[in-house]
Amino acid sequence: MRVGVLSWDRPWIWLLPLTAMLVAFTIMPLLYNIWLSFHEYHTFSRELRWVGGANWAQLVADARMWEALGITLFYFAVTLTVQVILGMAIALLLDDDEIGFGFLRTLLTLTLVVPPAIAGMMFLLIEDPEFGVLTYVLEQLGLLDKTTPILATASTAIWGVMLVDIWQWTPFMVLIFLAGLRSLPPEPYEAAMLDGASAFTVFRRITLPLMQKVIAVAVLIRGIDIFRMFDYVFVMTSGGPGTSTYTLSLYSWQQTFSFIKWGYGATLSLFTLLIILIVANLFIWVAKVRW
Amino acid sequence: MANVEYRSVGKNFGTVRVLNELSLDIGEGEFVVLLGSSGCGKSTLLRMTAGLETISSGEIAIDGKVVNGVHPRDRNIAMVFQNYALYPTMKVRENIAFSLEVAGKSRDEVNAKVEEAARVLSLTDYLDRKPSELSGGQRQRVAMGRAMVRDAKVFLFDEPLSNLDAKLRAHMRVEIRQLHDRLKATTIYVTHDQIEAMTMADKIVLMQGGGIVQVGTPDDLYDRPATRYVAEFIGSPQINCQEGEIVSDGADVHFKNSEVSLPLPAGYAAHGGTKVTCGIRPNDVQLSEEGAIVGRLKIAEKTGADKQMHLDVNGSEFVAVTPRSTEGVPGDDMRFAVDPGKVHIFDQSSGHRITTTLSGA
Repeated sequence: MRVGVLSWDRPWIWLLPLTAMLVAFTIMPLLYNIWLSFHEYHTFSRELRWVGGANWAQLVADARMWEALGITLFYFAVTLTVQVILGMAIALLLDDDEIGFGFLRTLLTLTLVVPPAIAGMMFLLIEDPEFGVLTYVLEQLGLLDKTTPILATASTAIWGVMLVDIWQWTPFMVLIFLAGLRSLPPEPYEAAMLDGASAFTVFRRITLPLMQKVIAVAVLIRGIDIFRMFDYVFVMTSGGPGTSTYTLSLYSWQQTFSFIKWGYGATLSLFTLLIILIVANLFIWVAKVRW
Repeated sequence: MANVEYRSVGKNFGTVRVLNELSLDIGEGEFVVLLGSSGCGKSTLLRMTAGLETISSGEIAIDGKVVNGVHPRDRNIAMVFQNYALYPTMKVRENIAFSLEVAGKSRDEVNAKVEEAARVLSLTDYLDRKPSELSGGQRQRVAMGRAMVRDAKVFLFDEPLSNLDAKLRAHMRVEIRQLHDRLKATTIYVTHDQIEAMTMADKIVLMQGGGIVQVGTPDDLYDRPATRYVAEFIGSPQINCQEGEIVSDGADVHFKNSEVSLPLPAGYAAHGGTKVTCGIRPNDVQLSEEGAIVGRLKIAEKTGADKQMHLDVNGSEFVAVTPRSTEGVPGDDMRFAVDPGKVHIFDQSSGHRITTTLSGA
């Protein structure tokens, strides 16, 4: 052990590179964003002007913002629920040592390597009203007719987008759940079998409680991801038809980069961050996740 | 309560044969101990009984009904596992109540049974704790409680005391045996500890290499071990074994080797010239001034109640258990005798007991 500035009992110097990166790429942009939310860009004079709390007042009164928040929360609730339930079901099916199951588990990673924007393009084709496979199947089943294309009908467009998210990210849930399931001790299961418990009782009383933390972490990671989803709506619907798929992230993007309202865009993004922070911390507290 | 029959039961793990054509009958209400060193297949046999391992060949029948294809949950068996296998997320109360709740028993009945089990096992103060907040002994008692509240046909114990300290183990031996005497339930108990087997069993099944060597009462196994392996496995301190030959010259029959010569019952005359192993229990080595054999004391171990004298007879060791008052310091020459009727003779090549033609011992 060396004595001096670089000795192990003086950690500050070792923390410096990471601290510098955090300050440069996270803290500074965040502080700038906060500063920006109290200013607005004037297109004619091409300068940022102090507007005080005007952006925040506008945000509270903005009906489109509330609509976007509602759409985001709906999308968030449905996709997350489906991904957790479907992910757990598939993980339980794949939690087996029979020949071939290892290969099946490997296959699950395939959807995860597709860039989300590309996945959106794929589903744009799959759900195409003229030649989309899904459209064809739904029509044959009598669930859809040619006059109501999935992505061009206000009531179904959001479901069409959710489908990509579920297709692409359920395997992520499966992988995390599988890792949890395969590390569970076998003995309580043997004891439960001898105690006469049915498969469902074993799942409800033993597997679920043991998996609680794993599920909580997966929900947290996916939840944050889903809340700021952008790629799918951008590629597939651009928020339409009308504003039926306008999520909060897409609305912030539109305000910032289409309408060049740097200040209001920054306010919207800060608001999103606040919601995520509150919801995530509430969840951590309720689910008793310890890191 | 039920009887359990094993009919030519075999078990393979891949190409490894761990149980070989094993047949055994366990009567209603019996306390049977499967005894053997690790790897002899005793735990595998227990797990096959419970349905946690498949049966490769043969049949297991409970109450006359073959259970080979019956799911564990439908066998009505209670089991106490070596590592307790408690439900980690449930409180002690929920652990014990689980099987009753699953069976759809009323809340009052569940509570009554749980309270009763907790009282018997001194767990009342711990009912609202999680298993992780309990000591090893307390966890073991929870595992017992979980089995106790069951109205099971057969109770299985898989080395339940092996993780406990000596004092608690002795206490739990008594508890388990008393529990059995009260419930009168058919019990199969696996252990590698011969003292547990001797103290608890109605019947001991001694296993070796995937097969049964001897079945009998604890006294049977101690007094008439069927093989040298059984003789050495049962009894503490271990039996003294000497390799040699039966020498018969008319009226006198002796066991002889280069170090010692011991008189044998006349019934062994027919086996003159046979290469044998002679086994003498340390308790049957009698120190006395008139003894014909002289040994030099190497060390005297005090166990409290008695002394274990390690004697050197021309280079081979004899252990004698003597009263604690026995005097002697290392280097002393001590004389001892052996009652010919208490000598165990085993064929050297097969290891099987050789019985005398007269006494049938």
